[in-house]
Amino acid sequence: MSGLKDLLDAPGASVQAENDFEKINRLFLDRGWSDGLPIVPPTVQRVEEMLEYCDRPWREQIASIPPRYGAATPLRLAANAVMAGCRPQYFPLVILAIEALAEEPFNLYGVQVTTHSCAPLIIVNGPVARELGLNCGHGAFGPGTQANATIGRAVRLALVNIGGALPGLGDMATYGSPAKYTYCTAENEAANPWEPLHVERGFPSHASTITVVAAEGLHNVNDHESTTAEGMLKTLAGTVATTGVNNVNNRLSEPVIMFCPEHAATVAGGGYSKNDVKEYLYERARVPLGKFSDENRERRLRVTFPERFATAGPEALVPMCQSPQDFIVIVVGGAGKHSAVIPTFGNERSVTRALKRKDGEIANSVEEFRRRP
Amino acid sequence: MVQLRKRGLAAAVICSDSFVKLAQNQSRVFGVSDLPLVTIPHPLGGLTLDDVQKRADLAISQVLSLIQEQGK
Repeated sequence: MSGLKDLLDAPGASVQAENDFEKINRLFLDRGWSDGLPIVPPTVQRVEEMLEYCDRPWREQIASIPPRYGAATPLRLAANAVMAGCRPQYFPLVILAIEALAEEPFNLYGVQVTTHSCAPLIIVNGPVARELGLNCGHGAFGPGTQANATIGRAVRLALVNIGGALPGLGDMATYGSPAKYTYCTAENEAANPWEPLHVERGFPSHASTITVVAAEGLHNVNDHESTTAEGMLKTLAGTVATTGVNNVNNRLSEPVIMFCPEHAATVAGGGYSKNDVKEYLYERARVPLGKFSDENRERRLRVTFPERFATAGPEALVPMCQSPQDFIVIVVGGAGKHSAVIPTFGNERSVTRALKRKDGEIANSVEEFRRRP
Repeated sequence: MVQLRKRGLAAAVICSDSFVKLAQNQSRVFGVSDLPLVTIPHPLGGLTLDDVQKRADLAISQVLSLIQEQGK
């Protein structure tokens, strides 16, 4: 392929460096083009190989990434994907994730610069998750699986290098999060007793999708004793309901309930649909107003939700989101009786996008993005 | 603020000192690197009303200076 070298001749499009791994990594660190871990040097050859799995013009702007509002093009994204250690086959999902993040409801500016610890959680559904070997079972959040580790890392590097999310300059997170290195998983559809997330959201089951959620880290829900759906949901509701999460204070909150397969089987075996789970948690995962500090009650909750709490007494119950449907319910993980709750930023809405070919049709495989000589 | 500034109106962003670098970066990104920043001590959250008043007083004096400067 000859076009790339011409593109890289443009001023500022490339950087010359000695062919030395340590020196290149030092250069990238010094310039702030890094997450702090060693990167794979994005040489012309490696970037060309990454772009093999892209059916779009290499300089076409796919998104504008705040707070720098840098143009995310396939060329730039490919460099970041190389740096992250992606195999070229992963590249269509990297592009899809960036497109999803850039959709307005996701409020990427807010997610990037907030003091909150949220990071974009990437949930992959559909056949491409299996094709690429994304781990949805034991250790689905790592470490150890190349696709999960590097797709999430490529997205993070793009958010830093194209978007300017540098700590204290464009990313104002008070303490950040390990999830900002990579935060990518797939839903365990084979072990999901309910419809998978993408089907729930109106996509055909044969579609492959990415859902992005501005999420905190995982909070474990241990329940080795409950044998009924109600018992399991009671444990979950008690873990979801807490005073110090963003989800308490924001109208757009979408807490993620991540069932392990065993807990999901217990709940579904009790006759609960996914919708029933959401209804249960909406009604039961609540904190009495009297549990909040006086200042949070008077200055925040009464002001933000006057229709609920303007004159409410201490026994009034505060939900973790504004409707049952706001809960995002997924099934992830291997054997074991540990589910998770994942509080979210609350000032954004999650976005799901399907992997589509240039002609707008659902893609069945990443091979459909491969350039033909 | 950026749009107001570009139209020649007196405009400023009020930010706490911990966010000055972000505000400066954003001003550059939006093409108004001379956008005035009215700075007040961090934090903004978790303050008594008295402390909020003190910050408001600090901001108001800067805003008045800005308007007077703009009028010259």
